Amino acid sequence: MTRILMKGNEAIAEAAIRAGAIYYFAYPITPQNEVGEYMARRLPEVGGVFVQAESEVAVGNMLFGAVASGKRAFTSSSSPGISLMQEAISYMAGARLPVVLINIMRGGPGLGGILPSQADYFQATKGGGHGDYRVLVLAPSTLQEAVDLTMLAFHLADKYCNPTMVLADGMIGQMMEPVEFPENYVEEPLPPKDWATTGCQGRDPNVVNAKGRAPIIIKSLALDPVVLEKNNLVLAEKYKLMKRDEVRFEAYKINPKNRILVVSYGTMARICQTVIDELEQEEISIGLLRPITLFPFPAKEILAEAIKPNIESVLTVEMSMGQMVEDVEWAVKDKRPIEFYGRTGGIVPTPEEVKDYIMKILARETPAAKNWNG
Amino acid sequence: MMQTPFPAFDKRVIIFAGAYGSGKTEVAVNYAIGLTTSQNQPVSIIDLDIVNPYFRSREAAFELETQGVRVIMPHNEMCHADLPIILPEIRGEIERSDGKVVVDVGGDDVGARVLSSMVDAFAPKGYEFLIVLNARRPFTSDVAGSLKMMHDIEMSSRLKFTGIVSNTHLIGETTTEIVVEGYRLAEEVGKAAEIPVVFVSVVTEVAQQLDPNVVKVPVFALSRQMLKPWEEKVKAVRGL
Repeated sequence: MTRILMKGNEAIAEAAIRAGAIYYFAYPITPQNEVGEYMARRLPEVGGVFVQAESEVAVGNMLFGAVASGKRAFTSSSSPGISLMQEAISYMAGARLPVVLINIMRGGPGLGGILPSQADYFQATKGGGHGDYRVLVLAPSTLQEAVDLTMLAFHLADKYCNPTMVLADGMIGQMMEPVEFPENYVEEPLPPKDWATTGCQGRDPNVVNAKGRAPIIIKSLALDPVVLEKNNLVLAEKYKLMKRDEVRFEAYKINPKNRILVVSYGTMARICQTVIDELEQEEISIGLLRPITLFPFPAKEILAEAIKPNIESVLTVEMSMGQMVEDVEWAVKDKRPIEFYGRTGGIVPTPEEVKDYIMKILARETPAAKNWNG
Repeated sequence: MMQTPFPAFDKRVIIFAGAYGSGKTEVAVNYAIGLTTSQNQPVSIIDLDIVNPYFRSREAAFELETQGVRVIMPHNEMCHADLPIILPEIRGEIERSDGKVVVDVGGDDVGARVLSSMVDAFAPKGYEFLIVLNARRPFTSDVAGSLKMMHDIEMSSRLKFTGIVSNTHLIGETTTEIVVEGYRLAEEVGKAAEIPVVFVSVVTEVAQQLDPNVVKVPVFALSRQMLKPWEEKVKAVRGL
């Protein structure tokens, strides 16, 4: 397969088409507009439909209807647009619907700016909308990974009947890298979508008591508290399975000599890699654990690396004021000191800044720190 | 090793247009820097990209100004906006009588539309309107796609292309084979459109390996200016 040069937004759009998405609903927002432009050009070629909605609120509800029909559908937006969709995302989580959401993050809060950010970590991983639900969150750091994870997102959404998000900073959306698409894309078998509202052509209508089947009404409304709690228990069971089976991460230059464990995701992790490579030349050993799934979070894996004897502290680097660092703190508990470095507003930390911060941590390490080994 | 002279033009205004992601900005920025070092005259670059939010020539403003290139771009916080800002000094810069003006236009026909309002300014001064082609991009990977892209841009800009810049590459994975494959496509497109391939542009490391018996037009060696944050070695923060 020929490698082609693509912009991240285009690569994600093509990946969605290759994964079988035929419905796309969106409202324009920078820095992800190329997804819509690409879909407008490509979707008609595969018999799909793109509706530019009147707002992101409408997008969310169009998605509800489309995925309830059993077809693969998705949207893409950037931070403020994703905020507007939260009600529908909660509804789709409650109704157990498989939808794919792409968030190409920009600086916030509020309308913010159009430059890269990772400040929607809380929103993506801790719910965002109301109620007890989780969104499965995948965070690519290269364009090839953006392609692979977008295709995987459709599979995981169907597997768990759950909203699944690809969370990427604006840099992923706007930068260009060579990518390739799988020649023959084959997925693991999925359960049939016998719950889908497909009309009743060729079969008996799914009405109350007909052939003993329940009516197919896809909804998140349950006035009976017992029924509502039962739904929450089903969801909780599902999230437990995700935590068991879907944790993904990458270890970079992790070895017993590491003095600091860096935890970073997305393009921020690539900046950390540049720093780690440079420090290696200076014989300072630093390892990186890059979460690929943000929910479920690789907490056990981070703890296992953090408590290695030579690790003096765990440093989280994000394009935010410190969001994922709370999950890292929770994972490591009080076993090691937790450090954080971040920039916001669309400012991407330079390798120089990150290196300086690491040098500062190493310089201020006290003998007492060695006692944490026990 | 291949050595070719700087691909200079007699015309005062050199406009780079093309599909999204064809590499217009990298070529335009390098070309402006090349002009200042090889030609003894004032050079300015106009960032006329009103469709892209990142990786615009204004991001190389510091490097450009350091090299003596005047940069015409939106002022203050507006340089970060994704708004169709058309500065009044653009027209003045084109109508000025001395030196060379390099224009970096946004991608596709939508990005080139802004040119149509300036045709009367370009025409009397004489211009080269160059299409930057990358055969490894999705919509310009064959003759038909490239001709369609050219046609769409000509329609929206109300300008006729005068030459082709063959800029086929895969960033860090670029090989001489990829460059030659793109050059051959550019020649075919040029034959169909009846315009010449004016130069091949590629990073210096690959430019040095090209065979002049195969690539028969000037080769313009690029030094990448549009770097991603992790590609920058640890060094002082670049000013904007």
